[in-house]
Amino acid sequence: MTSLKHGVNLSRRACRPYIKFLAAAAFLAVAVASPIESTTKQSPSITVDGISTYPGLGFGPMGPVAPMPGEPPGTQLRQQQETTTETTTTAKPKKERTFVIAAVEFHRVETPFLIGVWIFFASLAKIGFHMAPKLSKMFPESCLLIFVGVLIGALLLSTHSVHVQPLTPDTFFLYMLPPIILDAGYFMPNRLFFDHLGTILLFAVVGTVFNTLTIGASLWACGQTGMFGCTTPLLDMLLFGALISAVDPVAVLAVFEEIHVDEVLYIVVFGESLLNDAVTVVLYHMFEAYTEMGASRLMYTDFLAGFASFLVVALGGTCIGVIWGFGTGLVTRFTNEVRVIEPIFIFVMAYLAYLNAEMFHMSGILAITFCGITMKNYVEGNISHKSHTTIKYTMKMLSSSSETIIFMFLGVATVNNNHDWNTWFVLLTIVFCSVFRIIGVYIFSAVANKFRLHKLNTVEKFVMSYGGLRGAVAFALVLLIDPEVVKLQPMFVTTTIAVIYFTVFIQGITIKPLVKILNVKTAEKRKPTMNERIHERFMDHLMAGIEDISGKHGNHHMRDKFKRFDNKFIRPFLLRNYQGAEPKILETYSKLAMRDAIEYMQRNASTIGNISGAESMSAIFKNYTNSNFNGRKCFSPSFTQLDSSTWNIDMQELEYNPSKKDLTDARIHHLLAEELCKPYRRHRRLSYSRHAVNDRDLGTQVNYKTHMNIRRLVGDRKHHHKRSKRGKQDGKNHVTFPEFQQNGSAKQFTHDYIDEVLQEDEEQPRRENDDGGITFTAKSLPNEDILEEDERRMSDDNDTYMTVAEQARVATPTATETMLPWKREEAEGTTALKQSEFPSWASNKEYLAYSSPSATFLGGIEKPKHPKSIIGLFRRESSSSTQAADLPIASDSEGKADSIKGDSSSMKGESLYSQPKQGPSLLSKRSTSLGGPSVLLMEDVAHSDPLGASSRPASIMQGPHRGQCRRGSMLELTGSLSRDAITEEKCSKSLPESERMGVRRLALGQQSLPREPFNRQLTMASNLLTSSSSDESSDENT
Amino acid sequence: MGNKSSLLLREEEIAQIQEETGFTPNQIERLYSRFTALDKNDCGTLSREDFLRIPELAINPLSERIVHSFFAESHDDRVNFLQFMRVLSHFRPIRKNRENRLNSRDEKLRFAFSMYDLDNDGKISRDELLAILHMMVGVNISEEQLTSIAERTIIEADTNNDQMISFEEFCRALERTDVEQKMSIRFLN
Repeated sequence: MTSLKHGVNLSRRACRPYIKFLAAAAFLAVAVASPIESTTKQSPSITVDGISTYPGLGFGPMGPVAPMPGEPPGTQLRQQQETTTETTTTAKPKKERTFVIAAVEFHRVETPFLIGVWIFFASLAKIGFHMAPKLSKMFPESCLLIFVGVLIGALLLSTHSVHVQPLTPDTFFLYMLPPIILDAGYFMPNRLFFDHLGTILLFAVVGTVFNTLTIGASLWACGQTGMFGCTTPLLDMLLFGALISAVDPVAVLAVFEEIHVDEVLYIVVFGESLLNDAVTVVLYHMFEAYTEMGASRLMYTDFLAGFASFLVVALGGTCIGVIWGFGTGLVTRFTNEVRVIEPIFIFVMAYLAYLNAEMFHMSGILAITFCGITMKNYVEGNISHKSHTTIKYTMKMLSSSSETIIFMFLGVATVNNNHDWNTWFVLLTIVFCSVFRIIGVYIFSAVANKFRLHKLNTVEKFVMSYGGLRGAVAFALVLLIDPEVVKLQPMFVTTTIAVIYFTVFIQGITIKPLVKILNVKTAEKRKPTMNERIHERFMDHLMAGIEDISGKHGNHHMRDKFKRFDNKFIRPFLLRNYQGAEPKILETYSKLAMRDAIEYMQRNASTIGNISGAESMSAIFKNYTNSNFNGRKCFSPSFTQLDSSTWNIDMQELEYNPSKKDLTDARIHHLLAEELCKPYRRHRRLSYSRHAVNDRDLGTQVNYKTHMNIRRLVGDRKHHHKRSKRGKQDGKNHVTFPEFQQNGSAKQFTHDYIDEVLQEDEEQPRRENDDGGITFTAKSLPNEDILEEDERRMSDDNDTYMTVAEQARVATPTATETMLPWKREEAEGTTALKQSEFPSWASNKEYLAYSSPSATFLGGIEKPKHPKSIIGLFRRESSSSTQAADLPIASDSEGKADSIKGDSSSMKGESLYSQPKQGPSLLSKRSTSLGGPSVLLMEDVAHSDPLGASSRPASIMQGPHRGQCRRGSMLELTGSLSRDAITEEKCSKSLPESERMGVRRLALGQQSLPREPFNRQLTMASNLLTSSSSDESSDENT
Repeated sequence: MGNKSSLLLREEEIAQIQEETGFTPNQIERLYSRFTALDKNDCGTLSREDFLRIPELAINPLSERIVHSFFAESHDDRVNFLQFMRVLSHFRPIRKNRENRLNSRDEKLRFAFSMYDLDNDGKISRDELLAILHMMVGVNISEEQLTSIAERTIIEADTNNDQMISFEEFCRALERTDVEQKMSIRFLN
């Protein structure tokens, strides 16, 4: 019942021409809605005659419906009315008796269904074009869509089922236009737009008026000669001129986006098409009103009123848009707790701005454009990165689909029987449109050039005039004309369609080759570099200053003033984190840093291990960037420099006699621990939450904290996968990081594990110093003496104790680690490591074999005595953190269980992370206490857990230190030590410590070798087991 | 026209300035009146204070540097009209098929570069860049962050690894920037 009503209402809105026809029927239908519904179900006998239009329900707001075969076409309302009364009474009781198992009830879903089908097919058509590259190269998409629309229209017409205009002015203006304009406004390059605002306004206002008047007057003059064969009143001609002279934003966008012209050119044409809306609307309404009033009764005050109304429409629309824009900024300031609804505000408020303006008969297009322009500045600073992405995609999606639909409907609407083709009128209109467009452009660009720094040259003028496409706006406007008042309306409609076809097809198709032939500057899309950003900003300030000095108040002055005002009064109110005066510089910086990080990870995944672990990420990037820039010049691969630097480092490290592989491990682990892994958090929450996206650190984009994002990105799983894949493929890649040689599942689990730990880490209140991602610490030179590095590392550790999380992360079992014992032996053999391009181990098949997961597992299986997991350790500790010292070793089983838990669950920082606090104290203890071989271990372990560390030292040894431990090739020494002894040493002994690294390393190596690998392997194995069933386990845990 | 302000400016002076800077006589007169308006002491030269008295300029974050750039050639902390015009002529828009001496792209860039390069050693060091960043970005950002931004910027432009930006590197970094337009203003006729 309701659906029926709904359908009727919708259809009424949709098909104007039939409204009167239907009005009576519709009312009746509504009144007797329920009987009708029942009838329609059981009266399939009603037939639709193909000739009469398909009234009422047949049309969704989006288009005509062919009656479905076998479908009760109860839409013939008139017939229904007649039949309903009798049938209902008799039929109803019967119906209620039977229980219908399955039934088709199309009418209920008809309207939305049809809308959906339209969108679906329109989008399919779009896909189709892109499947045929030749086609889409030659023709702009808009042409193809119109073509498809025509085909469909012809089909519909030939079946006689409908002749409707699916593109009604209301659907067009209320539903299809706003997304496109919002998209344009929101992604409008503000700076460019306002720099050229003068020119744009000149073209949009004066140019449009000029075109309207000249086209209207010329057509009228031609009409006076009688060549049209009908009377052509001046006002009607002017009305037509008003609607036909406006450059259409949709068509312009569709074409200009494909030809990628220079941004100045683009912004001038496109800006004009946006802003001339106000003029068009005003002129249109003005002439419409004049026409209705009749020429005789016009007074000159009416013209003045027209001008005043232009101001009101334009300024009013703009103001409404700007106010809503500020409002959006303000609202999004408070959305940080409910991120998921951020995008909705942008869309809804912009749409409200549009409707609000339309409500007062102001320019909705201007309103939504300026709403987008205004809100962007503030919203972007408030919303999360993900919301930003969402908005971007949703906006693009909406606008491109409504563009698709518009062009298709334009095609469909073309095919009908109401055409009134007047060859002369059509021809002359096209000619006048083109000619006056060209004349107008030349005149006004000459005027504009007087005031412009960048003069519009001839080629640009040509493209501007050639790009003056007409489109759906004109079509919708011409449909709005009341044929009762303007007798020529059918002819106008036909002519408008012809003009649109001419501009979209002829000009749209030829503009691409023309642009190429004329060698028009095409835009290059790229992000500004840091230098450009800073220096350009610098120049802005400089120019503003110079303008002040020379006493001229120009663009720069105005912009400077606005910026100052904005920064002082507006931003602080609308932005949650007010970032200071130059958010753009920061933004660029963070973006670039992020990009560097990603690129670095992608390109140099294999060499990453070669970077000295003590370097900060920024140093690495520095290095990388350097090499990049150099590489550009001398065509050397970007990582050569990195390689060479490693080389040096190696030489130095050789003094300590670690194997290169160890060094690599150490570095990468340090790197991962300190810089890369931390940011990466995956949502592992398995419970469904509608109101929150489970990502807690949604930083805002402009936010300086973007380095968090960077880190997240760097740690992003994608890259991991890439790397792991790579590892699979080229097992022989000698430079490849051992970790990456793990393949497939093992690797995966490793990462799962890391992720887990990371996530848990989030919960932990972090100390400032802890975050080691791409922090903005400036480290000077990439290559530093190893000793220094180590010292620094140590000092770092001491004062900023690494969070347990970090350690835990590093604790992730890597293949290498697992392998340690064998590796050691090997390293032993080649103790005297030759300095060569490839480390000795690189080509060693045995080594590779070890690093394969199978080997790992085998190794693990060999000695399954102590299957404790790191996590287990942490857990236990955390729970008994205070007692930690007392508890020596956890039982294996316990450890295992814990590990499993840790794996799958998204447990909060409760367990592991309570430890960091202890860290420092432990550390200090350690540093003072530990001596000899065991000492090192202690250090590493101590932060995380004093107890567990002793028992399973290797696994726990994390971060920078782990590497160190392993480095020592002195493992053999430690091997002799019994595990217990070691633990005891650590826990009990307070050895006067020699902080010297050499000692430390040795010690670490000793401990780590024997047990760790196994523990790790076990852990991994358990991970494997559990991860598959992670869901359940997580549930259990949480 | 413009006779009032040109009272102090003789024809040959205008000609000389025009010759040297490329401004039209009208522009010269207009700027001269501006110059005298700024010159509160009526001594025919401007001091730094005269510049900083301009209210908008005073709140320009780079005001100090901008003003300083006017004094590059003067030795006594005063700027006479010719020097004043010489500096301003850097910002004349470039005209095709006309001589662009002081306002060529190269000159514009050199002017900007010299504003960074406080110690005139032909290179922008980290500290010099940092100083500018400080002025522009303001106080809301930590020193560390600014430093890393500066370093990142230098690395980006630095092709010979001396941790400085030379003029050549500076030009290269701004290769794709429309300097001609960015560093031009229209002087009224």
